Amino acid sequence: MNGIAVKNVSLNLGAFALRDISLTFDLGETFVILGPSGAGKSVLLETLAGFYHPDRGRIEIGDRDVTTMPPEARRIGFMFQDYALFPHLTVAQNIQFPQRADPVRVGQLLARFGLEHLTDRKPVNLSGGEKQRVALARALAMDPMLFLFDEPFSALDARTRDTLRGELKTLLHQLGIPAIFVTHDQAEALMLADRIAVLRDGQLQQTGTPAEVFNAPANEFVANFVGVETLLPGQIVAASDGIVSVSVGNKTLRVADRGVRGAMSVLACIRPEDVALAHRTSSDSGTNNQFAVRVVSVSTFGPFFKITLDAGFPLVAYTTKQLYLDLELSPGASVIASIDATAIHLITI
Amino acid sequence: MRTKTLTLSRGLLLTFWLIGGLLLAFILLPLLQLYATQTPASLVHIAAMEEVRDAIWLSLVAAFVTAIFAGLFGVPLAYLLARTTFPGKALVEVIVDLPLAVPHTVAGIALLFVFGRTGIVGASINALTGFQFWGTIGGVIVAMLFVSAPYTVNAARVGFESIDPRLEKVARTLGANPWSVFRRITLPLARRGILTGLTLTYARSISEFGAVIILTYYPMTAPVKIYDLFLQFGLGDSSAMAALYLLVALSLFILFRHLAYGRVIPGGRQ
Repeated sequence: MNGIAVKNVSLNLGAFALRDISLTFDLGETFVILGPSGAGKSVLLETLAGFYHPDRGRIEIGDRDVTTMPPEARRIGFMFQDYALFPHLTVAQNIQFPQRADPVRVGQLLARFGLEHLTDRKPVNLSGGEKQRVALARALAMDPMLFLFDEPFSALDARTRDTLRGELKTLLHQLGIPAIFVTHDQAEALMLADRIAVLRDGQLQQTGTPAEVFNAPANEFVANFVGVETLLPGQIVAASDGIVSVSVGNKTLRVADRGVRGAMSVLACIRPEDVALAHRTSSDSGTNNQFAVRVVSVSTFGPFFKITLDAGFPLVAYTTKQLYLDLELSPGASVIASIDATAIHLITI
Repeated sequence: MRTKTLTLSRGLLLTFWLIGGLLLAFILLPLLQLYATQTPASLVHIAAMEEVRDAIWLSLVAAFVTAIFAGLFGVPLAYLLARTTFPGKALVEVIVDLPLAVPHTVAGIALLFVFGRTGIVGASINALTGFQFWGTIGGVIVAMLFVSAPYTVNAARVGFESIDPRLEKVARTLGANPWSVFRRITLPLARRGILTGLTLTYARSISEFGAVIILTYYPMTAPVKIYDLFLQFGLGDSSAMAALYLLVALSLFILFRHLAYGRVIPGGRQ
C-alpha cells in the first residue's frame, strides 16, 4: 500500500486559497503543517477531509483517488480543536456513531481507552483528556486510513497540553496510522513531527524533517517562523577548504560550506541556542567564529534568558539562568560569543 | 442560578422593579378579574353547551394541525436560513416575517382571494378533490398557519444556528451522509428551538380571530364563538366561555412549554 499523496492541489475560496500544494508521505508518519493564522492550514485539512473539492490537482490515500469523494467515503478521522463530541449522545453512543462501528469493536475501544466507567456520561461532564480519548475512540471505530488534527491542543492550558500531546504521540505510534497535524506553534511541531511542511498564504514554503526545517530554513519567512532570531544580510567574499567567508557589516563570518555556489548575496541564519557566551576566547577555535560582544538588553521568558548583543551586527543568544548569573550579563557587559561554523545556515537571496 | 450584581445599585434595581411590576400587574389584573366575575356554576353552565365545547375542541385541533404543517414546511426553510447564504436571503427573511406585520383582517381578506370559492387555489383544489376551504376546518387551519408560521421558522432557525457546524462536519467524516447527519445530529440538537417555535405557533393559532372570522365564519372556533355569544347575549355567557377557554388554552400552553423547555438535554450545551 502506498502512502498519502497530494498532487498539485489548488483551491480558491476567495478569503483563502491553496496554491499548487504537493505533499507525499508514508503510512505511519506524523506530518505537521506549520504556519501562521490565515495561511490556509485548516482549508488544506478540510480539503483532505473532503469538505472542499480542489479546483485542480489530485489527492490519493493508499491506492484510492479520493479527490472527488464525499467526506463520508474517505475514512479519515478528523479531530477538531475541542474534539466536537456530540453533546446529545453519551460516550458509548458517540463511539457507536460511525456506521461501520460494530458493537464488539465499540466495547474493545471503551476498554482500550479506559472509558468503561464513563459509557453513560454526556460529553459536557468529561475532562479535556477524557474528551480526547472519546474522540479518538470514535474516530477509530470507523477504521480510519488517516488522522487529521486541527490545532488539537491550542485551547488547553500548558500543563494539560503537555500531557495530552505525550499521550497522543505514544498512541499514534502504537496504532501506526498516519496523522497530519495543523499548528501555528513551532515547539509543538518540533515535538510531534516526523516531517514538517511550512505553509504561508496557501503556498508551501518548505518540506522536510524537523532538523532540516529548523536548522536550514529555505527562506527568510521560514527562518523567522521557526525561531531563527539572527538573520544577517551579507556577501560571500571567499570559499576555501570547505569554509565560506561571509562579510557582514565590517565583520566576517566563517560558515561550513554546504554547496552555496554562484550566489554572492546571502542571509546568514543563526539560531539563538547556537550562540555560546563565555568570559574569554577558547583556544580550539578552528571552526568557530568568536566575537567580542556587548550586552544590549536582557529579557526572560519561561526557563530561558534572551540576551540581545551587539557584535558589530545584532546577535541574539539564549542562556540559562545559571550562565546569566555567572557571566553577569547585565546591559553594557562585555563577553565573548562563539558560533560554530556548522551552526550557521546561508539562504541565498 | 444566582447572579452577583455588584456594579448595579440597589436604588436603580428597586425603581426598575416598581416600574416593571406595573406592567406585570397590567397583564395579570384583567385575567384575574375575568375569573373573579365567574362562579363554578356559570362555568359548568357554559361548558354544558355543545356548541361551546365544539368550538373549543375545533380551536385546539386546528391549532395542533397548524403546528404540524408549520413544522413540516417551516423547519427546512429555517435550516436554509441558518446554514446558507444565497442571493435574496434578506428578501426571504422579510417574506417570512411579513405575516407579523399584516393586520389579521387584511390577512383574512387576502387569503379569501386565494383559498375562497373563486380563489386560484381554493377553486382548483375544489375542482380536483372536492375539498373546500370555506366552511371547513381547512379554512381555519389556512388562516392560523398564515399568521403563526413565522414563529416556527424563526425559532427553529435560532435552534439550528446554535449548533456548532463542526459537529456536522465531524459526523460526515465518521461515515454519515448529509441526510443521516441531519437526522442524527442536526435535528436532535435543534430540537429545543423547533419545539419552542411549534409552541409559539400553537399559542398564536388558538388565539387567532381576525383572519379566521373573515376566511371561514363557520365552523366557529372558540374566539369566534366568544364573539358570537357577546353579540347575541352580551357579557354574561361570553365572559364565562372566555374564562373556560382561557383555562383550557393556558393549561395546554404550559404543558407544551414544559415539554419544549423542561426536558433540557442532560449535559447538552443548550
